[in-house]
Amino acid sequence: MEDNYIIELKNVSKIFDDDTIAVDNFNLYVRKGEFVTFLGPSGCGKSTTLRMIAGFDFPSTGEILLNGKDISNLPPNKRPINMVFQRYALFPHLDVYDNVAFGLKLKRIKTQIKDENGNPVLKIDHKLIRELKTEYRVIKRKKHMSDEEKNEKLKALEEKIKTAKETPVPTYKLNKLSTKEIDAKVARALKIVDLEALEDRDISTLSGGQQQRVAIARAIVNEPEILLLDEPLGALDLKMRKDMQIELKEMHKKLGITFIYVTHDQEEALTMSDTIVVMNDGEIQQIGSPKKIYDEPKNAFVADFIGESNIYNGTMIGPKTVRFLDHNFTCLDDYALNEKVDVVIRPEDITFVDEKDAMIKGKIVTKIFKGVNYQYTIMIGKNEVIVKSTKSYELDSIAGLHIEPDGIHIMKKDFTMNVYTDAWIDKNNNVMIDDVPFECVITQLLPGSSIDEDGYVVSKDGQHKYDFNDADVVAEIPLDKIDVVDDIESDECEVVGEIVDLIYVGDHYRYILRTENEEDFVFVSTYSYNLNDTIGLKVKKEDIKLRLKKEVTEYEI
Amino acid sequence: MRFRFQRKYLCIPYFLFLILFVVVPIFFIVYYAFTDGTGNFSWNALVEFFTTTNKINVLVMSLLFSTLNTIVCLLIGYPIAYILANKKYNKSYVLVLLFVMPMWINFVLRTGATRDVLTWLGINGGTTPYIATMIGLVYNYLPFVILPLYTTMLKLDKSQIEAASDLGCNRIQVFTKSIFPQTVPGVIAAAQMVFMPTMSSYVIPETLSEGKIVLFGNSIYLGFANNQWNSSSFMAIIMLLIIGISMFVTRNFTEKEDEGRANAW
Amino acid sequence: MVKKIFAYSYVYLILFLMYVPILTLIVFSFTNATYIGTWNGFDLSLYQKLFESEEIMIALGNTIIIAIISAVCSTVLGTLGAVGVFYSKKTSRAIFENINQIPVVNAEIVMALSLVVMFVFIGNKIFAGANLFSFWTLLAGHIVISAPFVYLNVKPKLQQMDPSLYEAALDLGCTPRKALWRITLPEILPGIFSGFMLAITLSLDDFIVTAFTRGSGLLSGAGNIETLSTLVQAKIKKGPIPPEMRPLTTIIFIIVVLVVLFISLNRNKGISSKVKNRRKLRERAE
Repeated sequence: MEDNYIIELKNVSKIFDDDTIAVDNFNLYVRKGEFVTFLGPSGCGKSTTLRMIAGFDFPSTGEILLNGKDISNLPPNKRPINMVFQRYALFPHLDVYDNVAFGLKLKRIKTQIKDENGNPVLKIDHKLIRELKTEYRVIKRKKHMSDEEKNEKLKALEEKIKTAKETPVPTYKLNKLSTKEIDAKVARALKIVDLEALEDRDISTLSGGQQQRVAIARAIVNEPEILLLDEPLGALDLKMRKDMQIELKEMHKKLGITFIYVTHDQEEALTMSDTIVVMNDGEIQQIGSPKKIYDEPKNAFVADFIGESNIYNGTMIGPKTVRFLDHNFTCLDDYALNEKVDVVIRPEDITFVDEKDAMIKGKIVTKIFKGVNYQYTIMIGKNEVIVKSTKSYELDSIAGLHIEPDGIHIMKKDFTMNVYTDAWIDKNNNVMIDDVPFECVITQLLPGSSIDEDGYVVSKDGQHKYDFNDADVVAEIPLDKIDVVDDIESDECEVVGEIVDLIYVGDHYRYILRTENEEDFVFVSTYSYNLNDTIGLKVKKEDIKLRLKKEVTEYEI
Repeated sequence: MRFRFQRKYLCIPYFLFLILFVVVPIFFIVYYAFTDGTGNFSWNALVEFFTTTNKINVLVMSLLFSTLNTIVCLLIGYPIAYILANKKYNKSYVLVLLFVMPMWINFVLRTGATRDVLTWLGINGGTTPYIATMIGLVYNYLPFVILPLYTTMLKLDKSQIEAASDLGCNRIQVFTKSIFPQTVPGVIAAAQMVFMPTMSSYVIPETLSEGKIVLFGNSIYLGFANNQWNSSSFMAIIMLLIIGISMFVTRNFTEKEDEGRANAW
Repeated sequence: MVKKIFAYSYVYLILFLMYVPILTLIVFSFTNATYIGTWNGFDLSLYQKLFESEEIMIALGNTIIIAIISAVCSTVLGTLGAVGVFYSKKTSRAIFENINQIPVVNAEIVMALSLVVMFVFIGNKIFAGANLFSFWTLLAGHIVISAPFVYLNVKPKLQQMDPSLYEAALDLGCTPRKALWRITLPEILPGIFSGFMLAITLSLDDFIVTAFTRGSGLLSGAGNIETLSTLVQAKIKKGPIPPEMRPLTTIIFIIVVLVVLFISLNRNKGISSKVKNRRKLRERAE
């Protein structure tokens, strides 16, 4: 079943020294000859995964199998895998020829030693005998083994040693490749990348595209089983990038080896790959063919990252019926009644129709000429709808829109609520989330209670007193109850972090803010921020819902 | 487990060397500063230093000379560095090399030459020790000022200067508001290259004032020459303290200093 | 234009003043007079005297021997240190860098004295009053002042180096040791070279550390090792620079000019031409 997988990553995780989780529980099976692309925004762990396959980083947990053998802790020079680096990493003090020949010159070929007549030279294998003898001694000293088993094994070993002593075996030596062989291989590799005449050129005299080709030649000349490419086209300009994409794809066909390609460019991934692995935040979001990932994105992240999408908040209001944009649509997916869902629609799945036939109507507010078609933004209520069409419509006119059921993709919402299960109450009756105190209404833990002057919670009837200091609670904050504070120095600001994720949902953005302690806060806002912006957040105290983890009586004093 | 080569192991020999010949000796300085001749703990060196007017005078004199030398070198060197780094005036590296070249001629020989020429010109160390010493110090330390200033000025952000004039600065304002603030790291690095070495210099004051001016360096040297380990160690501690303070004040700029010196080649 | 003339005259005036002492010595090296200022006609006899002066020749020899040995040691230690530290963890790197910085910022005389008191202490307390001062203590002193600068010259080259070069070498089959030798070393070679040159000049120029840490040995035999710096210092303490040392200035000056010229001419030439030549030779051989 697994026999035709060339490389398998099983439960691979990578945690760096500073406790950041770069890759989290990564599982991937790659077939021989496949073109696999890791796609995701920068910092999503795709490069780290590639580096683990190459051997520059070792997985913290999990294993990497090459042809079924565990190579997790094998150094890079022992792996039949070669890499094309992001900025090529050509050796500047060597010329094109020496760069390409670098790996070949280090290669040693195991060859049989033969005498003048061409017959193999046979010798007693003393090394094998020594190894067998050590094994013999080890077994003899073993305590946790029955005598029977021991004797049996020792006997088998004795037999082996005897045969080894009597039968000479062919001998091998490690040979360097001859200059001629190297020359031929280099010439062939340079031909594949179309650089035949440039052998003697200095690296610094080459253009970016040429350096790129040298880097590919340097890797493929070693005939690796897998070629890794770490954003190899990132430094090229658009036109050259497009040409190289096609060339790489053809090279893949010609060489027939496995390519693992890393990029953050979704178009590149869609053009070139057999399989795309979409990653975000160290985790695989979706694995599938380019078509599948485009047509059936698994979640809002994938939908947003691959191609352009309209994303809306929707509610299931009946069997295969979803309501969004103030209209009920028939769809193909089914979820529980009243479930809040993300609705994704590709711009090309929305068509202009006559107003009278339209499902939804709105005013055209922008019109951008894109060459092959026009891109329109249509306001429906407060929501923006992006539509593409080859036809020209007047700005400010009313457009009627139609969406086929198969154009509506429904996804379970990733986040409906911020839930912090390891929050606790400090002595000032604040709730500590991520070691940051938030003001909260402590009396909600006990209906009808109040707080006395010492800060203890007193029950409604005044009979019982509770000290919630150090109490473990679950805190919940709805997405829309978190407000942004731009001035991170101000007193209002309760927590500061960086925006690590954002998605535009019809009429607002949904952000994920990550604090220094790696706690996430998901919130929505109509204001626009960029990735990696540092901002502050505040929460009104009545918006934090608390739930005790233990019985309330435990805290009575 | 088998020993596995790692690149970081390469620093072990140098690390041991530094510990043995840099860190440990400093502890010996501390040891000698607070013991007497027999090796017992003692405040003698400290008391002696702060009660002998002669030694306090040396400290004050050294600080004065260092400050004055730093200022004079900066005043002379700043315009030179500016001109050398300005493409309008100078495009080649040759002029810069000419300013640096004296640094490669044996400095004791150079100091002797300065003294002999000054004597020939009538500025005699015996009669005018202060002037002669000052001239000698400036002569020696000027290249050390020009180099770090030159490297900072090469990196001047031209568009910032243009922006300043675009936003209405006149020439003087362009200098005070854009050029000078940008060169502050260089100025501090240059000052560091002059101030401490002047305080601890021995050959220059000794030669040019014909032994009449005693700076901190001379004082330590005298202690060494007379095997007074305790008192000279204590003076070394004072020196270390002053270095520490100046490092603390300018710590944000220390990196630049090395660049300045390293760029000599 | 006026500004330009003004700027140039300022620069050249200062430059001229800086060279006055050296140029004076050079000019008066070509006449046989006890004091500079008196011109007794053109005469090369001082040059002859210079080479006949055993004292100066011994000092010169010592200086060169010490400079070369200490520069080689400093370069090896400093380079290994820089490479090792560059690939160490952040905290150990910070500690190392701070220690390396001590000799750089510390006053030379304090460094020298600290070494002296250590050697005195060890000699007195451990070797029963033995005098440890020798060529070896002197060498240690010279390495202390120059190795940190080698380190500082190599470090930026490592920082500028693309870290994936080393990884690429491993990827193509190098062992870590081989990758270091074949890829990292050529990349940082310019830094090592400039570090070596700096180490040489620091050692040649040094007076304080030499005067403090020297003992007997080298060409000075049983007497204290005399280098150019200590010899000149001893002379100028008593009177003007001895006449036969003036030609020495001329010679040093010429050597410095030649070295500077050589380096600035070679600066722009890469190793590329060499590689090409090698290739062509091989092709012809086939």
